[in-house]
Formats: sequence, structure tokens, C-alpha cells
Amino acid sequence: MSKKLLSGPYILWMIGFTLIPLGLIFYYGMTDKTGAFTLANVLSIATAEHAKALWLSLGISLLSTCLCLLLAYPLAMILRAKGVGASGFIVFIFILPMWMNFLLRTLAWQTLLERSGVINGILTALHLPPQNLINTPGAIILGMVYNFLPFMVLPIYNVLAKIDDNTINAAKDLGANAFQTFWHILLPLSVPGIVSGINMVFVPALTTFVISNLLGGSKILLIGNVIEQEFTKGSNWNLGSGLSLVLMVFILISMALITKYDKNGEGNAF
Amino acid sequence: MNRSLIDLKHITKSFDGTMVLDDLSLTVKENSFVTLLGPSGCGKTTTLRIIGGFDMPDTGKVIFDGQDITQLPPNKRQLNTVFQKYALFTHMTIAENIAFGLKIKNKPKTYIDDKIKYALKLVNLDGYGDRSVDSLSGGQQQRIAIARAIVNEPRLLLLDEPLGALDLKLRQDMQYELIRLKNELGITFIYVTHDQEEALTMSDTIVVMNQGYIQQMGSPESIYNEPENAFVADFIGDSNIVPGIMLQDELVEIFGARFICVDKGFGTNKPVDVVIRPEDIDLVEPGTGTLSGVVTHLIFKGVHYEMEVTTPDGFEWLVHSTDLFPVGRKVDIHVDPFDIQIMNKPASEDEEAIGVNE
Amino acid sequence: MKKRYGSLKQFFSDFYLVAVLIFLYVPILTMMVLSFNTSKSRTQWGGFTLRWYQQMLSDPGISSALYNTLLIAFLSALIACIIGTAASIAISSMKPVSATIVLGITNIPMLNADIVTGISLMLAFLAFGISLGFKTILISHITFNIPYVILSVMPKLKQTSKSTYEAALDLGAHPLYAFFKVVFPDILPGVLSGFLLAFTMSLDDFIITHFTRGAGINTLSTLIYSQVRRGIQPSMYALSTVIFLVVLTLLAISNYRPAPQKVRPGVDPAAAQTAAAREGKGRMPEKLQKGAMAIAAVLIVAAVGWVSVMKFLVTGSDELYVYNWGEYIDEEVIELFEEETGIHVTYDMFETNEEMYPIIEAGAVCYDVVCPSDYMIQKMVENDLLAEIDLKNIPNISQIDPTYLEMSRAFDPQNRFSVPYCWGTVGILYNTRRLEELGVEAPDSWSDLWDPALSGEILMQDSVRDAFMVALKDLGYSMNTTDVDELQQAKERLIQQKPLVQAYVIDQVRDKMIGGEAAVGVIYSGEMLYIQEEVEALKLDYDLEYVIPKEGTNLWLDSWVIPANAANKENAEKWIDFLCRPEIALRNFEYITYPTPNKGAFELLDEDLQANKALFPDIDSLEGSEVYRYLGDEDDGVYNALWKEVKSR
Repeated sequence: MSKKLLSGPYILWMIGFTLIPLGLIFYYGMTDKTGAFTLANVLSIATAEHAKALWLSLGISLLSTCLCLLLAYPLAMILRAKGVGASGFIVFIFILPMWMNFLLRTLAWQTLLERSGVINGILTALHLPPQNLINTPGAIILGMVYNFLPFMVLPIYNVLAKIDDNTINAAKDLGANAFQTFWHILLPLSVPGIVSGINMVFVPALTTFVISNLLGGSKILLIGNVIEQEFTKGSNWNLGSGLSLVLMVFILISMALITKYDKNGEGNAF
Repeated sequence: MNRSLIDLKHITKSFDGTMVLDDLSLTVKENSFVTLLGPSGCGKTTTLRIIGGFDMPDTGKVIFDGQDITQLPPNKRQLNTVFQKYALFTHMTIAENIAFGLKIKNKPKTYIDDKIKYALKLVNLDGYGDRSVDSLSGGQQQRIAIARAIVNEPRLLLLDEPLGALDLKLRQDMQYELIRLKNELGITFIYVTHDQEEALTMSDTIVVMNQGYIQQMGSPESIYNEPENAFVADFIGDSNIVPGIMLQDELVEIFGARFICVDKGFGTNKPVDVVIRPEDIDLVEPGTGTLSGVVTHLIFKGVHYEMEVTTPDGFEWLVHSTDLFPVGRKVDIHVDPFDIQIMNKPASEDEEAIGVNE
Repeated sequence: MKKRYGSLKQFFSDFYLVAVLIFLYVPILTMMVLSFNTSKSRTQWGGFTLRWYQQMLSDPGISSALYNTLLIAFLSALIACIIGTAASIAISSMKPVSATIVLGITNIPMLNADIVTGISLMLAFLAFGISLGFKTILISHITFNIPYVILSVMPKLKQTSKSTYEAALDLGAHPLYAFFKVVFPDILPGVLSGFLLAFTMSLDDFIITHFTRGAGINTLSTLIYSQVRRGIQPSMYALSTVIFLVVLTLLAISNYRPAPQKVRPGVDPAAAQTAAAREGKGRMPEKLQKGAMAIAAVLIVAAVGWVSVMKFLVTGSDELYVYNWGEYIDEEVIELFEEETGIHVTYDMFETNEEMYPIIEAGAVCYDVVCPSDYMIQKMVENDLLAEIDLKNIPNISQIDPTYLEMSRAFDPQNRFSVPYCWGTVGILYNTRRLEELGVEAPDSWSDLWDPALSGEILMQDSVRDAFMVALKDLGYSMNTTDVDELQQAKERLIQQKPLVQAYVIDQVRDKMIGGEAAVGVIYSGEMLYIQEEVEALKLDYDLEYVIPKEGTNLWLDSWVIPANAANKENAEKWIDFLCRPEIALRNFEYITYPTPNKGAFELLDEDLQANKALFPDIDSLEGSEVYRYLGDEDDGVYNALWKEVKSR
């Protein structure tokens, strides 16, 4: 009885600052500037520019997510093999950069990638032709992978670390080679972490507008940029809200995936 | 039948600079049930893991049926392991767990299905194939772990304290089950446990280990009746280990009283350790025994009474007897000569370390 | 053979770890190096200096942003911990169905896109009539922090056995006492790691803060973002370096532990290893907790101390809320104004006219004086957002060259609402050496920006009107056209140009051109003085020249206006008058280097500068040049839609 009361502040908070705000987005998204009901804002996703921005965002964020996964999985395995010391180490390498501002870190990549930047400076010093790195989709993907990699590594590591060594030994003992052990045992057991990691990378990558501005030279319009511009430059909050509603579809899909594959919250990043 | 299946030759192994196995050699005969017994940290699990291929020895060789398999990875060894906490694959059903090893070897489906059925029947879990691992009790999980190992028809089954997590009754049931399985399957078992009773019940051969050394190896009877040192005596069953002086062959003095024994060849007036099992001590009326004392403690244990008899020198003798002597009663101690086991005192501190734990 | 394979594997895994580490830390290292760079340019090394560290310590903007950041991080983490822990306890005793629902809602702020969370909160604050400011940022941060706390506490709560709590009750403890003495110590590591996470997330957030902050309040993130356009102040790198090193040291101390315990004899090594691993995992939060506490405490104490030393708070009810472009004033001028008048100035910045407009329109923040551009002033006048300025209170208006008051009539026909502050032209900046290498003549026309030889060498302006101005002027149309056909042609022209464009940027053109990133860039004339100084200071081996294309260009004017809802109109007029003083206008000119319409200030300039035609062209000679006009919402919408088509191509 008294324990139930404890959830009171939280539930009020959630209603006030999560559900009602989302309701407002819904309201704005479903009305026009005069306040009349319309589906035009949501349906405008089908216009050529918006659809292209959405597809491009989906493509880039999917690619970033895959790259994160490919980078993070071996990393999580290596950290798992490190055993005892790994947990403190992980705090060091992944949490620490977050204390340097996200924008500054991304700007630092600009410095590295620019035509006369550090990387090209090194290439020139090695008498190699300078590369056009900045303001390309590649640069955006790099920025995403850089910023979101920790969110992939941590949940996968947490799941892998929980797997008993003897479970792996048992597979080997039953004749499985390294690949079979990975494929039949480690991979299926780490699905909750993978799903959680994919979510924590894919959603922010899909919706970011900062990385594409800073590393894409604003040449590449992602759906996040469209929404941001509607709110800050175009002053069309209704359209911006309508497009946000479209984005929320993907977030709902993520939540559904999590409930399906990570019932016990094993794959929490932290 | 008497061919040796596993030969460990001069195995040493250390972790982080701590020596765990020191020049260990061991032979396991085909179709035997060998138990590695010892307190935790004695190196028994490490020995098992070296045989299983999960740890590499620093030096020495593992010979399996005449072949050197020291460098062979676990998946290429013709043996299977039953792990301490079962190590079942929680993302698979019971049947999938059992089928795992067979699928890896690309056995035909009908063969696998037959094997699953057979194995489930063997471990008395008929019809459990489609259940999830989580839905089983500890004892059931243990039996699945065994089934999962034996369907591969290994020549050697390694069991790492498989019954450790089970309660007493279940443990006893499983002991009989394991003996039955071994007899039905004709597989060699190497069994690791720290439970001496389990070892005495099931094994053909017991290897008592401590601090990386083999202390004694032999049949359960010889280990129990003729412990070679105080450690074995202390570890296997309860025993009274008292200092004595070997006056001459077949005569030992304990706390000033002379006992006739059957041991020879210790020299004269030599300090020794004397082992006497509590059930081998007869309590008799004062004046009729060898050493006098007073009953200071009494507990009813079901099959017998457990008593403590304190002799004037202050030593508390542990005595098991079906006769009741109440606390405070003066009694004499009598021991038949063949129930007295004489052991050399450890010569150096080093040997002491190997010998008596604590 | 086998052993070699093992060590090879070890080598690869170590190699991989090191590679990832380099990937993670190279940008941070870059930033640290830049914090010692004499040059403001991010790509040119101008020599070693500690000047940015001094600047960091003396800049009130930075110190207050740091203070806000830390205070918000600390308070939001603390409050989130309290609410979240209470909620976790409640959730753990709920029925499974309600627990699932509550946890589902909990996940929303974490999984939801930051941009959606930020916008939805902003909409809610505006709808509830909560003015944006410190508290709205705090509320938002608490909102997205609670889930992290719950996720850290719930697993710990699951591990605690209910019977210990019941045992405490059985022994006669009051439920509260039992909770704090028995349950709480068990879940404390979870609470503390939740705190650290929340603190970190709050520190790292930009997007949500961006949408929910109000007047006069900056966190480090928003301060940096507002600097991005005009180039980051290296003192930000200095600050980040300091923060990074402090955190690194504290983490190192809290993670320090004596050499790993030797496996005790008598313990199975394998068992010992797994036990140690388990123990290690269990211990991590404790380590985190110490780290978190130490870091938070030290940083907050330092910041609070620093700010209280820095801030000589001017008391009194005399307030002035100023809303201006980023880096568009010499900050000492603000101090001079405060000293002279005793009015306390709250100074806030925007990056685009379009960003400023809805804030003024919504009235979420009441500014007293704002500095928009020409066409935006017209829009604000038309929408009755501005108050008439009483020119009697601004005697120094006489210092403004009548030419510019005349120019103002394009958007403020009777000069009733605005007082000019800065003006300028838009032209093409080009890198002489780069053009020579490419074999391209120096540009003198907008059409030169369609030269295929300049592929990847063009920096265009990333704003609708400026981009369309270039295309419209090139086509010979008015840049204020609303003719759909003309606009369509301009759009096609821009799409045609896009493959040649390296990037669409705003103020970054300056730094990129100095850095030699591109051959030509569309730029505001006001940047020229800084660029020429920098080219000299860095001893660059190329020249950057400015040209106003012959087709004519955009003549722009930024002027001070007073919003209709201003609470301190008189103070606003004092402010405008103050800025019109020749010596103050000169100070500002020297700082921002944008041409001043103040003839008194112009006369005080060196002859060299007076003769600088890039800065001060003869207005009469700018044939075909125009001032932007506000075109109305509908036509603005047309421009925006067409621009989106260009951008998405």
C-alpha cells in the first residue's frame, strides 16, 4: 500500500513531462496553423523531398548501425576475454569521452577530416594524394559510428559477460569449433544485447541533425534536419510535429523489438 | 579391459605464478570409475580441465589411448564433460541441447531423434524434449547435462562435481543413477568431488589430492582403512590422529599407554602419527582397557552414538559406538591391533605443507 | 604451433583494442592540441599559447555556462535518483501487468528521438505557459534521466532478497528504518551508478537543451552550438581539456586498486577467477560511486566558487533582456553599459532570424531589445510584434549616416521601429592561389559559381534567401521576387550548382576559407577585416580577395528593434542610444568588424580602413543591389519548399 504511493511522483512526472508533451506533438501534427484537423502534415512524408530525406536517413543510420555492430561485437568479445579488469577499463574508454562535449567531439572530427585537416596532412606528408573526406555521406556515417559506438558495445558486453565460461566450454566439448560455438551459442545468447544496442544506435542515428550539419556540410538533408528546420527556421511547427509522428513509428517498432527479445532487460547498456 | 585410457605424464600447471599442479602423473584404466577427491584448491578441477582440453598444461603430456592429445582442442577430443553448474544452453529446448553435439557432427536426423529418445529414457526424463531448460529442477537439469554428454558416445566422461548443487536426497539418488549409467554404457568415468562419501560410494579408484599433489591413490577400502598420511586420514571419514612413539615393531606408545599394533619397520623409539577411526575404539569398563578417560560429550546419531572421551592429557577422542555411555562416566579405551594405523611424521615443514591441511 | 596461434590471436585482439582506443580518443587529442593553438583556425597551427586558458578563466559567458551545466547535471541526476529509486521500489511490488506498462512508458524518453523529446517538451512548456529558462532545462533533464536511474536500480532491487527486509521487520524495525538500514545499502550501488549515468547524460546532452532553454541561459552545449557558426572559441577547447583531465584523474584515482590479489593457496584457481570476476563486476558500481561522488563534488564546488567570484551581481530591479546574434558585440561594451547605467543586462544569442522569430512571437521569453535583419524587421512590423521607438530618447541617432536610414525605409518606411546597427554586402571570397592552380579567372560575376572547373571548391550560404539571392541575381531577377516561374528557374539553377558545391555553411565560410578548404565562398563583407588579419598572422601563402559581383548583391542591414511586449522599454532605448555613441560603435566595429552605419565611428577610423572598398563600398556604385523584403508567410513557404527540394537533391 505505502509502496504503491512511492510511484506517485514518478507517474505524475511521466504524465506531465512525457505523455502530455507527446500528446501535444500529436495534436500539432494532426492540425494545421488554424487548428483545424488535417492529415497533411503526416502525409507530407510522401512528398519527394521528405521521402528522400527519410530514405537517406534510414539508409545512413542502418549502415551506421551495422558498422557499429560489426565493430562492437569483436570488441565486446575481447573485453569479455579480458575478464576481471575489463569493467573498470570499459568505464574509462567509453564513458570518459562523453564528458567532453558531444558537439566538440564532432567538431574535432571536422578538423581531422577537412581537406587541409589532420588526416590529409598526414597523407600529404606520406606523398599520398589527399582525399575528399568531409561533407560526404561517409563522414556522416563516421560521425554516427563514433558517437554511438559505446551504446552498442556496452549492452553486448553486458550480455556476453554474463555467459558462463562453461557454457562455451560445453559447446567445444560437444565438438563445436570456434565458429560453431560462436554461431550456435554466443550469438543467440547475446541477442538481447544486440537488439538493445541496435535500438540505442539506430534511433539516435535516424533522428540526428547535428552530425549531418557538422560533417555533411548541410549538403545532405536527413529527416532530422528537415524537422529541425521546420521548428527553428521554417517556423512550421505543425509540419515538424507531423514528421516527428512519422519518426515515432520507428521508435514504436524498436520498443516492440525490445519487448520481444529482451524481456528481462538483460541487454541494458548500463 | 585393463588397458590404460588416460595417461597424465608429469603435468605442471600454474595460474598467475601460483603452482596448482606439480609434476602430476596419473593413469586411468579403461572402463573404470575414477574419482579425484580433495578440498577445493587441491587441483582436481584443473586436472579435469586439462584432460578435457580447457586448460593447457605448462609442461607434461596428456596421452589418450596411446595418442598424445596435449595440444588437441576440446572439440577434437573423444570425451565429454558434465559441468558443475550443468552449463546447459538456455536458448535451446531440452531436445536441442541433447542434439547439439550430434548436429555438429552432421548425424542424420532420424539418428539424432532416436538418440534423444534413448538418452531421455536413460536419464528417466521421457517426454521432456520440448521443454525449456528453465522449467527444469536442478536434478533434472543435471540429468539433461549427462544425457547431452553421453549421446555422443564418448569413451571417457568427465564429471566436475556434478551433484554439488543438489540436496542430500537427490544427491544420493543420482549417485545410484550414475553407477547404473556407467555399468549400462561401459564408459570410463573421471569424477571430481570434494565429498568423500560420494567418492567412497561410487568409485573403483579414488585419487586423493591436496595442493597439487596426489596424496594417495587406491580402492575406496584401502583409502579408508589404510590412509598413508594424516591428510588422507583426516580427509576421508572422521579419525583420531594422535602423536605416538613407535617403541619397536608392533608396539606403539600413545600418551604413555602402550598399544599393540600390526605395523613394522618404523625403527625404535621413533615419533609417529597414529590414526584410529572413531568406530574402531571400544569403550570398556574402567580398568579393563589401555587408556582411561571420561565421557565429556554425547550425541545420538541414529545408527550410533557419537561421544567424546577426554583422557588426562587433555586429548578428546572421537568415538562412535552403539553402546551408550552418559556424560561424566569414567571409561577405558581399547583398540584392536589391526585397527591402529601408524604413519611417519612429516620430516620437514615442506612435507608438512603437503601433508596436513590446517 | 598452437602457442603461436594463441599469441597471434592475442596480438590481433590487442591490436584491435588499441585501434578502437585511437578511434575514440583521436578527436579528443585533437581538441587538446587545438587548445594550445595561437590561431583560432582549426586547421592552421599558429604556435603554442596559453592564452585560451586565460580567456576561459576570465570569460563570464563560459563560467556561467559551466556553472549551469554542472548545476543542471547535478540537480537533475539527484532528483532523478530520488524519484527513480522510489518508483523502482513501487514498480517491483506492482502486479506484472502494471509494472510492464509503467516500464514501457519509462522507456519512452530513452528510446524516443532526442529531437522529438526536446520538441514535445518545448511545446508542453509553451502550452502550460511555463517560460523557458533554467527550470525548463532542469525538468527536461530530469525527465530523460529518470529512466537511467530506474534501469540501474531495478536489477539491484531484484537481487535483494525480500526476506532480509522482512527479517528486519521481524526484529522490530520500523518499515522506514528497515528500508534505509537493510534494503537501501543493497541497492545503493545501483542508485549511484544511476546517478553517474544521469550526470553524464545530462552533461552530454545538446538537442533537448537546445529546444527547452530560454533567455540568458546557456549550458556548455548550447554555448558551443552558438559558436559553431562563427567558429568555436578556442577557450572552449581549453575548458574541455581541463574537464577531461580532471575527470580522467578522478576516475584513475577511484579506479586505483592494489595489485591483483594472488590466488590463495587452497582455492581452485578457476573458481577463484570466476569468483573474482563476479566480485569485480559487483564491485564496479562501488568504484563508480566513489568516482561519481568525487567528480560531482569537486566540479560543483569548483564551479560554484568560480562563479561566485566571477559574478559581481548587480542588484536592483533595473533589468534589460537583450537578444542578439552570436558574437555580435564586444562584451566589454555590455559591462560598460551596466557600469554606467546600473542596469543589469541579460544577454542572449540567436543564430538565425528564423530561429529568433518564433521565440519573440510566442512571447515565451520577454526580450527588451532585439537585433534582427531587414526583412525580418518588416515581418515583425507587419505582425505587430514591435513597439515604436521613441527617437527623442535616442539623441545619438544623429550619428547614424542618413544613407542607412534611407536604406531602412525599404522595410521600415517611416524609420519608426528600427535603428541601424551593422550593414554590409554579400560577395564572393576567393583564394587567389587555388584559382591559379585550377586555371580559373578571378570571379566577378555570380555566374562564375557555376563554373564546372570549381567542382567541390564552392562554399554556398546555407540559408534560403541568401542561396536564392545568388541564383536570382545570376538570372537577372530581383532577389525579392515572388514570381513562381522565376523562382522555379532559380531552383533549377541551384540544383544544377549543387554537385559543384562542397558544403552549405553559414559563418563557417570564414574559417574554411582561411584554412584553404575551398577556392570560392559566398560571404558577408563584415568578415573581411578578420580574414585579412588572419591571413597575415598565419603567414599564409595565399591571398583571399573579396568581390561584389557585377550583377549586384544583397545590401543588408541589422537594426535594433524593441518587441511590443518588452517590459523595460526605457532601458532598451538607453541601450540603443548607448550603442549609437561613436566611440562605442567604434569599439564594436573593431570587435565584430562588420561595417558600421555610424558616421561618427567611421570618421574615427584609420584612412586605410575608410578606403577599404570591400568593407565600405560606395553604395551608389552598387547597381542592381537590393535590400531583402519580407514576402509574407505564403511566399516564404514557397521559398522554403523550393529550398528543401534543392537540399534533398
